[in-house]
Amino acid sequence: MGDMSDLKEREDKLQGMGTSMLRKEDAKFIRGQGNYVDDIKMPGMLFGALVRSPYAHARIKGIDKSKALAAPGVVAVLTADDLKPVNLHWMPTVGGDVQAVLADQKVHFQMQEVAMVIATDRYAAADGAALVEVDYEELPAIVDPKKALLPDAPVLREDIADKNDLTHGPRTHPNHIFTWEAGNKDATDNAFKNAEIVVREEILNPRVHPCPLETCGCVSSFDKASGNLTVYVSTQIPHLFRTVLAMLSGIAESKIRVVGGDIGGGFGNKVPIYPGYVVATVASIVTGVPIKWIESRMENIATSSFARDYHGVGELAADKNGVIKALRFSALADHGAFNSHVSATKFPAGLFSICTGSYAIPSAYCRVDAVFTNKAPGGVAYRCSLRVTEAIYLIERMIDVLAQKLNIDKAEIRRRNFVKADQFPFTTPFGWTLDSGDYHTALDKVLKAVDYDGLRKEQAAKRADLNCPTLMGIGLSTFTEIVGAGPTAVCDILGIGLFDSCEIRVHPTGGVIARLGTMTQGQGHATTYSQIIATELGLPASDIVVEEGDTDKSPYGAGTWGSRSTPVSGAATAQAARKIKAKAKQIAAHLLEVAEGDLEWEIDRFKVKGNVSQFKTMKEICMVSHTGNLPAGMEQGLNAVAYYDPPNLTYPFGAYLCVVDIDKHTGETTVRRFYALDDCGTRINPMVIEGQIHGGLTEAFAVAMGQQVPFDENGNHLGNTLMDYFLPTAVETPHWETDHTVTPCPHHPLGAKGVAESPHVGGIPCFSNAVVDAFAHLGVTHMDMPHNAYRVWQQCNQLGVNQR
Amino acid sequence: MNVTLEKSFPLPGSAETAWQLLCDIEAVAGCMPGARITERIDEQRFKGLVSVKFGPASLSFRGEIELKSIDATSRTLVLSGKGTDSTGSSGASMDLTARIEAVDGYNCTLIGNSTISVSGKAATFGGRMMGSVADQVLKQFADHFGARVEQMQGSQVAFTDQPGSEGAGPIAARTTPPTAVHRVLPKATAVVQQPAELNALSLLWGMIRDGFKSLFGTYRR
Repeated sequence: MGDMSDLKEREDKLQGMGTSMLRKEDAKFIRGQGNYVDDIKMPGMLFGALVRSPYAHARIKGIDKSKALAAPGVVAVLTADDLKPVNLHWMPTVGGDVQAVLADQKVHFQMQEVAMVIATDRYAAADGAALVEVDYEELPAIVDPKKALLPDAPVLREDIADKNDLTHGPRTHPNHIFTWEAGNKDATDNAFKNAEIVVREEILNPRVHPCPLETCGCVSSFDKASGNLTVYVSTQIPHLFRTVLAMLSGIAESKIRVVGGDIGGGFGNKVPIYPGYVVATVASIVTGVPIKWIESRMENIATSSFARDYHGVGELAADKNGVIKALRFSALADHGAFNSHVSATKFPAGLFSICTGSYAIPSAYCRVDAVFTNKAPGGVAYRCSLRVTEAIYLIERMIDVLAQKLNIDKAEIRRRNFVKADQFPFTTPFGWTLDSGDYHTALDKVLKAVDYDGLRKEQAAKRADLNCPTLMGIGLSTFTEIVGAGPTAVCDILGIGLFDSCEIRVHPTGGVIARLGTMTQGQGHATTYSQIIATELGLPASDIVVEEGDTDKSPYGAGTWGSRSTPVSGAATAQAARKIKAKAKQIAAHLLEVAEGDLEWEIDRFKVKGNVSQFKTMKEICMVSHTGNLPAGMEQGLNAVAYYDPPNLTYPFGAYLCVVDIDKHTGETTVRRFYALDDCGTRINPMVIEGQIHGGLTEAFAVAMGQQVPFDENGNHLGNTLMDYFLPTAVETPHWETDHTVTPCPHHPLGAKGVAESPHVGGIPCFSNAVVDAFAHLGVTHMDMPHNAYRVWQQCNQLGVNQR
Repeated sequence: MNVTLEKSFPLPGSAETAWQLLCDIEAVAGCMPGARITERIDEQRFKGLVSVKFGPASLSFRGEIELKSIDATSRTLVLSGKGTDSTGSSGASMDLTARIEAVDGYNCTLIGNSTISVSGKAATFGGRMMGSVADQVLKQFADHFGARVEQMQGSQVAFTDQPGSEGAGPIAARTTPPTAVHRVLPKATAVVQQPAELNALSLLWGMIRDGFKSLFGTYRR
């Protein structure tokens, strides 16, 4: 047993799990030396620009390419008719629908892709696109999803009008996509009939967009000689991307290489396969030269995957003490013009049925009706790809509505309904098994930290003083997230299970290369995965290289979305490392001439129990593993691959509290305080976790306080520039106070859960609850987002609180 | 983005004079700066082009307009128009009914009733201003129209001669904001130079053109 300082020194040298190691990625990024898809320049590369529709719904009567083709630098102009021969003018979506790659006879949303102009440079391509003359016959558009299923509503999708099933059950109307339900309807309806108290509220999750710093784009390069296709693309799912390309193009998957490179933020916006990618790839196959296509900011906000657009109705049944007896939630989902919502095959409405949240509710039923409208398709995006945000927003708003109805404190009503610590693992009425949690402890820690009682007293005083220029609101959110998709038994995309993978190669001098099926977009994977391996193998994280995103290098995986990297790939990493460690132990035993049972692990070495001087460090073992001095029959090398199929999803949770002061006369809302306690189980890199939480809270602030993708009655997009679309900077963003508890995940090898989505999912209702709470004493039970100054002022004005 | 406007403007002249003017396509043309006829399809239908220049960007609008009816008894003119800018990024359409109502022997009222709809970038960037824009354009038209009527009535009108004002010089070169040309009368020479078909057409295109100028003027701030 070495002395403590020696142990600590060796431990510090590893920078393993639990240390706030600085991010390996940042040295490159802060020097502006990242390599994004638009940085890629290839010899002979041509550029694509898309011709897009000014109308939300119109028939294409003709397309005249002649002027464009005559323009300098223009090489080709591709339309749906040019893609027909290769049958790529339409493509299947993972939602069980088809999507037009280039508009075929009709356009279904404003700025839909109509043609692509290929030219020698970006400017020539843009000029050429402006010269393509498209003759449109404008048709009446459906913008409000509530009007989509009216008997006299215009039929949007003539191409599938005769299909009475889009793989998710019978359709009741040409504009109907699916109706999905879960839970026990009869038991729930009965509980409502017999309930002492029932509350109901219509709650909108408006259409928003994640708006990553880097827009979407690709460089497709087809080598006619070898028949190999290489696609550099800003994607969160390189392996699935390659599989889909193989399915679409008929090119052998082995001859396709997809490279992710550096990605400037994804948030779900970079999960789908966009028409631009397909057309650029076809163009490269046809021309035999690389084609680059990069979205403009307007194209990104207006056409690539939006988020939310869930028009919800929440109902709770409870007794007089506020104990919830039943939950009934429904949502009208606006999926836009094509059902390209990315989700696990069996979950057309994602994980919406997590909507019982952190509460023990005996009976529950939920239903989602998805419809077509003349808006851009998508719905996968925004730091929670699987409708968890919508579900948690509903329950966290509704429990406040119930509290107000019964005049019970909003913290107390949560305590009365929480799943108790000794009830885990807890199975919800929808069948999810919450793995672990301690909700009471988390909430109480937050209330104590902010002096909740003191805040309520201050609020009461301000409410009593009619001359007080501000309204004070206190918002709570005690959410449970569901991340880490997922068990292959229930989770698949295109039939491919949502397992993930890690391959580790250890070299003679102890340098390690780890390759994974995930794809970092700023989450700091290279740092976090290194720290896992450092602790598992006792080799310094600084000498561990992590590679992701190149399908030629890394083993197959479902990519990074839904906070699945640590829950799934992190587990695969630990398991691959443990295979290597097991072999290392055999080698150590061989070298020390003892039985494996006589060895114990200490930070970076195997030592003989009770004999300080007898040990072999991992570094020594790494070298020996590449020699002939090995146990009989053992192969050289210290390599391993692990594929991890999670037995369950992980359920991180948190308790958030927000204090706002609203100016009665301007409606301006100031976030005085935001205290966020997160529990994501074992914490691998506290600094990286904190960074993820800061980002998620900032995006929650953006959604709750200002973001909105508005349309006029004709389906014109009214906010697709950063003049209109709210993107918070350091100027607007409040100060975040973070805290944590640690309740390890029982089924994860490291006890870790996902975290990046939690602050977004939990943060949004916290802001809304704070704003509504400011008006609660005036009888207000709900206000839809975004809570910008104008909308909040309207509420003040309507209530007359701004009278001087 | 749809905008419906019903506007009436008092005119210093008799209904008869005003109606004469409304039917006198040549003269009315002068009341609306803008547009060029590229093709007359038949008695009622024309094709036209209008170029707009705002800052570094210039937009060329192609469109078709139809004179639905000219009814002398009710002194009513009805037309509709539809256009797309040549980059294909915006569309616009309008239905207009213009009517002359007598007040007394020396005064009458021009009643304009129009529905304007824009789509694409025009709506994205400026849809929210369409109301005021169209409003302002109609007013501008009425001012010019009124001055013409007054002139026909033989009363004295002080002409403001403004170099580069409407009619004079290429439209594409005009950078004066709409408000500046407000109440400024076109050169008499400009009026007679206008092709006969321009009256209805220029009313539509004038709206769209000035509309765009204000929209993008604001956008670039």
